Amino acid sequence: MLEVSGLKAGYGQIEVLHGIDFHVNQGECVALIGANGAGKSTALKTVCGLVKPRGGTVRFQGRDITGASGHEIVRAGITMCPEGRQVFPEMTVLQNLKLGAYTRRDAEQADDLDDMMQMFPILRKRARQAAGTLSGGEQEMLAIARALMARPKVCIFDEPSLGLAPKIVAEVAETIARIKARGMTILLVEQNSLMALKLADRAYLFEVGKVVLEGTGEALQQNPDVARAYLGD
Amino acid sequence: MKRRSTIGAGLAAAVLAASTSLAGAAEKDLVVGVSDALTGPAAVYGVPQARAVELAAEEVNAAGGIRLGEDTYKITVLSYDDKANPTEASNSVRKLIDRDGARFLLGFCCSGATGAVASFIQNEDAVMLVGNAAERSITTRGIDNLVRTRPPADYTGAAAGTFVASKGHKRVAVIGALETSFYAMYVDAFEREFVKGGGEIVTREAFGLKDRDMSPQLTKIRALEPDALLVVGYVEPAAFVYRQSVELGLDVPRYGFTSGSEEQFLRVASSEQMEGVWDLRPTELTLQSTGETGRAYHENFTARFGVQPSPSSPYAYDQLYALRDAILKAGTVEDAAAVAKALRELPVPKEAVMQYIPIDGRMFDGNGQAYTTNGAFQWQDGAWVFVQELPSVAEDYSRFLSSIDG
Amino acid sequence: MLELVQQITNGVAIGSVYVLIALGLTTVFGILGIAHFAHGSVSMFGGYLVYVLVASQGVSLWLAIPVALIVGMGVGGLIEFLAYRPVRNANHINAFIIALGLTMMVEGINLQLFGADQVVIPTGFDRVFEIAGVTIPETRLYVILAATVLVIAMTAFVEGTKTGQAIRAVAQNRDAAILMGVNVRSIPLIVFAMSTMLGVAAGVMVGSLFAIAPGVGEAMVVKGFAVLILGGLGSIPGAIIGGLVLGVTEALAAGFLSSAYKDVIAFVVMIVVLLFRPQGLLGGAK
Repeated sequence: MLEVSGLKAGYGQIEVLHGIDFHVNQGECVALIGANGAGKSTALKTVCGLVKPRGGTVRFQGRDITGASGHEIVRAGITMCPEGRQVFPEMTVLQNLKLGAYTRRDAEQADDLDDMMQMFPILRKRARQAAGTLSGGEQEMLAIARALMARPKVCIFDEPSLGLAPKIVAEVAETIARIKARGMTILLVEQNSLMALKLADRAYLFEVGKVVLEGTGEALQQNPDVARAYLGD
Repeated sequence: MKRRSTIGAGLAAAVLAASTSLAGAAEKDLVVGVSDALTGPAAVYGVPQARAVELAAEEVNAAGGIRLGEDTYKITVLSYDDKANPTEASNSVRKLIDRDGARFLLGFCCSGATGAVASFIQNEDAVMLVGNAAERSITTRGIDNLVRTRPPADYTGAAAGTFVASKGHKRVAVIGALETSFYAMYVDAFEREFVKGGGEIVTREAFGLKDRDMSPQLTKIRALEPDALLVVGYVEPAAFVYRQSVELGLDVPRYGFTSGSEEQFLRVASSEQMEGVWDLRPTELTLQSTGETGRAYHENFTARFGVQPSPSSPYAYDQLYALRDAILKAGTVEDAAAVAKALRELPVPKEAVMQYIPIDGRMFDGNGQAYTTNGAFQWQDGAWVFVQELPSVAEDYSRFLSSIDG
Repeated sequence: MLELVQQITNGVAIGSVYVLIALGLTTVFGILGIAHFAHGSVSMFGGYLVYVLVASQGVSLWLAIPVALIVGMGVGGLIEFLAYRPVRNANHINAFIIALGLTMMVEGINLQLFGADQVVIPTGFDRVFEIAGVTIPETRLYVILAATVLVIAMTAFVEGTKTGQAIRAVAQNRDAAILMGVNVRSIPLIVFAMSTMLGVAAGVMVGSLFAIAPGVGEAMVVKGFAVLILGGLGSIPGAIIGGLVLGVTEALAAGFLSSAYKDVIAFVVMIVVLLFRPQGLLGGAK
């Protein structure tokens, strides 16, 4: 469904991605793991059009979307739930959710809104509150719900557990599992490699801008090198 | 900004050729400089003045120019925009004298700019004729090569004070451009005479040159319940005062010192809002108050420029005729001092539009100051109507002026 | 008491004009971080345009105003596209210099097209309404009403439409807005069109209440930025409240203290407010 091949990208003089390949199949949950600065987030941002690629291709449902602008990629069906939540702080929870559906013109937005409130009851409680006043965990839920409001074909999560309390991290993991269970195609970047590998069908290990290992979530969990370096054994 | 009268410009080349030839009878070019506010808020006075000089020059040229013995001088007018700004005015006069070779300087609508030029003109080989600028000190410094056609503001203010007192008012509120000294001087002279009649000034509210919203001051005045309003200032802010006073329901007789044409006021206020307003000022141009010369001037000016002349514009028109007579009397265009001396000995030119009160038979007194009568004008049905002359004793004032030093 | 109410009423009319100017400046600043100094001069261009249409072309005021508003939207879009877009990603000083240059350019264009004379838009509104001793001239009443309508319309647009929400989103978090599918290249165009339209409305009001002349636009933009700082940079409610506060303060200062210090007192109030609330009256603490 999503195929990335030979992707190169960077900031200014520095190249961060040195030609990476990965793909995500329909209905799959794929995780990108690796150390801080390995290029996972840059890869996501490049796919989403926030960073311009310097080489390689991104294909989505057979279409070449390399270098398309951010809003075109959203329209194509790829939505990202960004690192650090990035909710709109001065707007209400409701307004944030509606913005998630910005590209949609269909009549079912109200139903989806209700669906999200069902899935995240805290959002119904806080519907009229400014998003900036929510706790970190609540903001993460809002960011996830906002991403889902776009009815994406692929939903990308960038570091959803970053900066959250352990109890909330578990909640986030459980939420992603629920979304996966609904049949959503998911691409996940996560520093918490154990959590990522548990959720993922398949995973890619990034090291300094290159993919060094690929396998099922389970296989990578059992790989001794991965276990030593990333799972804290 | 520079304008050259068309007739003068057309002849310039020929004149240049003629003046270098050795032929006995030659047609020569006489450059007359005008420094006036051609842009900005004071342009309401400056532009009509510059045009008035141009009109007079065209008339003199059409009538054969100025004949001095064998030579005939045709006048070329050079106008510079001084924006009523002292620095700009000093620069434009320097340019006129040093670069353009002008020896005769006309125009000067506004006191600040005029005062700056007056401060150095004594050292120049030139003659300065001041128009609409009303600041008294311009003619109290004993400058031999300067004369002024317009009487000082306080000369008129005193007459206005007597007039308003005679109308039975006791409490007058003043609003005006009081940071400009000649307006303050008008009000001071007004107050002296008005208090003699048993009245008092209840407040003096000021506005700035660029202010357009005077409703705060007028609201304050309204709360003081005066029985009359005195408005002194440039036409535009004054017009806003008249308009806003009606808008605030300030229903008392309104007196002013502004000298604006009907057109100028109507750009801001409606005729209904102006109805009944008095303007207490030198007896300047209005159709009812002038004789034949005035009507002809009004007609020619309107035909030539497509707009009516402002009431004060004849101060500049009369400058040119006074200059012509002085040149004829002195018999020279080279000797500025002789022309300046001739100006002070001149009777009122027969073409003069304003109604000057001669002092000892002369247009200008020893201070170089001319006096017109003062008049009370009232806005009636869309036009300024001359109602009556104000009591003004020019000879007394002339003596008073001579007693002031500097 | 009557005097006080009258002064406040006077101030609200002037304040309404400040509100419209400040709304334009604050939305542009909020979304692009640009101090759009040319705003005042562009607004006066709109006022001049109405004057020319009405006074010399004989067009009805009710046709001239919508025409000017639409032209204003176009001009606003052009300014964004031609002047500010090329420096979108450059150093902030570039946009700053562009803004200054643009001010001089637009002032020059106004001078060339409309001359140096002051112009007053002839409205024919010279009725005066009186409520319990407080008088409101017809023009001022319409100014207050029109400003109210425009503020409500703009609030409805920003709060009630997807595009309006996208504008707020871009102002708060540009990257996240892109992730919502907002085309962040079209938003500045819309913002400039809307701001300039509000500015043109303010220009028409200045031209009807008072007069338009060279320098009036620049003076307006200074007041507009004072309102922005007073109300909180980028805040829409801040611009509304700040504009009214400034208008009323000026009127009260001129009425009860001295008209000579009108502008000074307005800025003193601004400084005092900032001493206690550095983020402005309604600015978020960031």
